[in-house]
Amino acid sequence: MTPAPLSVVESDPAAGAGRYGRLLPRLGVTDRYADTTAWWALDISEARPVIAAIAAGAGPADWVDALLAGVRIADIDENNVHLLGPHGGRERMIGQLFTNYCPPESWKTGAEFILAAIADYPPGAPRTREITSLAFSDAWAQVSTDPAYPDIVFVAVGGTVTDDRSLWSVRASEERYRNLFHHLPCALIQVDSRPMRPIFDDLRRKGVTDIARYLEDTPELALHSRDIVQVTDANWSALQLLGAEHVEQLFGPVDFVFAAAPDTARRVITAHFDGRRNLVEIMKLRTLDGRVRDVELSVTYPQPPDRLDVTILGLVDITERLRTEAQLRQLQADYSRAARISMLGELATSIAHEINQPLSAIVTNAETSQRWLSREEPNLTKVQQLTARIADSGRRASNIVQRIRGMAAKRAPERGPMELNEIVEEALLFVRHEIESRAIELSATLAPGLPLVLGDRVQLQQVVVNLLVNAVQAQGNGPGRIELSTAVGADGAVVFTIHDGGPGIAAENLDRIFGSFFTTKDDGIGIGLALCQSIIAAHHGTIAAFNHPKGGAVFEFTLPAVIM
Amino acid sequence: MSNPPLIAIVDDDDAVREALFDLLQVEGLAARTFADGAEFLADEAADGFDCVITDVRMSEVDGLELQRRLRARGSRVPVIFITSSVEESTRGRAVQEGAAAWFNKPVADAALLGALRAALDAPESSER
Repeated sequence: MTPAPLSVVESDPAAGAGRYGRLLPRLGVTDRYADTTAWWALDISEARPVIAAIAAGAGPADWVDALLAGVRIADIDENNVHLLGPHGGRERMIGQLFTNYCPPESWKTGAEFILAAIADYPPGAPRTREITSLAFSDAWAQVSTDPAYPDIVFVAVGGTVTDDRSLWSVRASEERYRNLFHHLPCALIQVDSRPMRPIFDDLRRKGVTDIARYLEDTPELALHSRDIVQVTDANWSALQLLGAEHVEQLFGPVDFVFAAAPDTARRVITAHFDGRRNLVEIMKLRTLDGRVRDVELSVTYPQPPDRLDVTILGLVDITERLRTEAQLRQLQADYSRAARISMLGELATSIAHEINQPLSAIVTNAETSQRWLSREEPNLTKVQQLTARIADSGRRASNIVQRIRGMAAKRAPERGPMELNEIVEEALLFVRHEIESRAIELSATLAPGLPLVLGDRVQLQQVVVNLLVNAVQAQGNGPGRIELSTAVGADGAVVFTIHDGGPGIAAENLDRIFGSFFTTKDDGIGIGLALCQSIIAAHHGTIAAFNHPKGGAVFEFTLPAVIM
Repeated sequence: MSNPPLIAIVDDDDAVREALFDLLQVEGLAARTFADGAEFLADEAADGFDCVITDVRMSEVDGLELQRRLRARGSRVPVIFITSSVEESTRGRAVQEGAAAWFNKPVADAALLGALRAALDAPESSER
């Protein structure tokens, strides 16, 4: 059934983009068919030479493509915009090629209509035809012209809406998408990645499976891809992020998005080729005004029934977050160092005693040497022996100083594979005197052949020393006991355990013992255990405290083994 | 007093022990070294030494305890303390309990030798 043709109204040069202004009826016309008829107004001026050639029987073999190459959208109504999906709406579509928006299966019909309308070729060709359409049953298409606009061909598509609700719901859904897209506070860029399909098909035919490798070997592919994939829409947040004033500034090749992140571009292509649904990664983004930001990119690749020409890129500016994280890490390092220095202060007496031993030996050996030398016949052999011992003691004192310097030094945390047993032994050197002077019995069971752990030597020493000092101080001045051990845990992790002979941990303190500023010491600050937990957590391990069934407190930390 | 005098050196640090041994040696004094108080007290010749030079802070039996145990079993052997410990209270107790001398490390050789000679020459008090 054909409706009464609508008369063209409201040629309004002031409204809308494009040379012709509004050529088509606006939505809201009360005619029932108007509501469900989709209109195109096509500018065929550039196609005239081809039309003439075809009408003269001298058209090219691929006449449909050749003709449509010169057909541009002059106007389009809202119904059509809704049905075809918003590519930034009507304004975006005007001036674009008809073939950019019309489904390929309808191109031939469109070309035939234009020939019929403009050149009446072939003679008597119908102006109305039945077509197949997803939105309509009994679908029809009609072409018409208006002498007032000789370069314009009007095409109407209509029919009985198969499912009134589904058409409305499609429209409503498109409207929701458009609203969401444009108003979401996250920067979104819509791209059309369809041009990649033939390229991928070609690569697969050639037997390429490792696309990442192929991209490395063939850099032109990535560059080409960045050029042919087009940005088709962007929301307000994206404009803000990129420092653009008009969305038109972003249309065109998607290349600029990856200007500062060529590696990311390759991974985006790889994920697309591999058929993944999403890709998320952090990359550098250069804005239109040359600033560089850190962003989190998320790409969602379309899969049927999605529209295949809609690939969404989400961009979240995380520059501030990364900056804050870096500051936090620096703060933690400073805090850690302050605690180490404080710990060294607590161990000052021990340290002084440790250094005093070799110094004492040096002085006595030197004085003894002088006595040998002042004999009538100096005993040079003896002096040589004593001098050698002086050098040894000197080196020993120097090692102690070096260890202390290492603990107190300001340095960025380093990561390397290390033996936990070595770290425990080095930590014991710091507290040896504390333990011995209090007559504390120390038993250390260090399992041989422990897997290596990845960590910062000084920080791990700090944790062990801290736990040792706590174990010593838990036992006051009387005799006591400390048992420590290293072992391989259930899942291959490395476990350190220390059990003291003190009174144990009060029940009410068990679950806050690692909290900041928790202390049971009169002069304690309460940063030690909190810092231990922080360091162990940064090493991807866990630390726990509990009371031993036979009395005393047990502290245990585990660290993941590094796979070498 | 046995002739020649035999000195006991008790200190848990190897280098300090060796150095004291060599100092006594250049002055012609014989000595034996012990790594801790328990080792010394367990030695059967413990009562036969003419003087004990000992550190204070050692594991198990510390210097003060060593002096007490010697006195407890009737020994009048003079004890000289050489220590890193600077606590006045410890020094006070040591002297009260009959220490012959108290030195801080590093000890000046002349001072130590002087105190040693004085201790060796002092008349032995009679046993109770």
